[in-house]
Amino acid sequence: MKTAAPLLAAALVLGGCATSAPEPGKVVAEDRFSQLVVPGRTTRAELLAAFGPTQTIRFDSGVETWLYEAEAGAGRHTELVLLLDRAGVVQKMRRRPPYPTDPKR
Amino acid sequence: MRRLIVCSLLALSCAWPAVSPARQAAQEVTPAPGKVQSITITSTRDPVDKSYRKMIKGMERFEREHALAPEATLRFHLLPRTPGVNMHGISLRVLGDHIAVPVQVTEDNTFVLPRNEQALREDAAVVANRKTTSMTWRAQVITPGLPAGTRRLGDLRLECLVGMEAGLVSNSSPMFSWLSNALTSPEQVCNSPNGNFLFFTERPVFSVTLRAGERTEILPFRMLYAGGELPREELPFCDCQVLLDRTYYAPIWDHGWPDDTLVSFEYMDEPQPEGQP
Repeated sequence: MKTAAPLLAAALVLGGCATSAPEPGKVVAEDRFSQLVVPGRTTRAELLAAFGPTQTIRFDSGVETWLYEAEAGAGRHTELVLLLDRAGVVQKMRRRPPYPTDPKR
Repeated sequence: MRRLIVCSLLALSCAWPAVSPARQAAQEVTPAPGKVQSITITSTRDPVDKSYRKMIKGMERFEREHALAPEATLRFHLLPRTPGVNMHGISLRVLGDHIAVPVQVTEDNTFVLPRNEQALREDAAVVANRKTTSMTWRAQVITPGLPAGTRRLGDLRLECLVGMEAGLVSNSSPMFSWLSNALTSPEQVCNSPNGNFLFFTERPVFSVTLRAGERTEILPFRMLYAGGELPREELPFCDCQVLLDRTYYAPIWDHGWPDDTLVSFEYMDEPQPEGQP
């Protein structure tokens, strides 16, 4: 029994809390994205209509971050990250280019 | 994977009943008439209280690895772990079988742990006037004189090593400490891209940028908000539960970034910087 308890514990530990890898952001055309998305004006509904749903994190504050991506060649992607306020309006936008050290997908 | 194991340990430790009665830290025994005795328990130790010995080991690790942050000093930092916990007026004590040493907590909920040989001998616990699982603890290593809204990567490297050595993060019950230690040594966690040691910013963060000489890189989205992969129902098992919007991973394992690398934050409540995106 003494030896069973640690094994059971290990099994429970290794089996618990499983999560899946996050989905990458939906791939969009960067030019169109830059034209259509305007901080302070663009709404959640407009994003969904223009680009569709993507990876989103909703925080306890009601604020959300959304991740879209754009093809950057050679299998790499540019990240396009949005901050939506509680009313569902884009407040901030940022762009992260791919770097040579990024892992390939 | 490491994060999963750490949070699993935490979940398990919360769910598992204490295998032995909480140790009585200080007792007053009053013989009563006849055979009845009155016992007053002035405080008890929770099985998941922080180990004083381990925290001292963390402080010793700080001294050994001080070259990572030569100008920095070490404090410990208390952060909210569960919703609604009152983070004002926290008091701390080092509590052994026959000793209780008060620890001064400053308004920013940081403290320096005093060294006490008797507390070490008695394998004391560091006990707060809050339920232990309502807070998360971190080492705080800060080089003075950095620009506002920045951290230094060497400081973060040392925070990870000290925090893991001090047993601040796993929060598992003593019953599982053997397993916890086997899976979460400071080296394994802090020197591996899969170590997933969580750092917290002062305010909700929108972007994190690394700068070292001419090299500048923005952290990818997957290194913010605990990777963005935690389903809501699993958040209670992560010590980022109420700090998710302040959570990031730093590439402390990547020695392509020197210790002097500056890690700067753009916060959610700041105006959009000029010229972005």
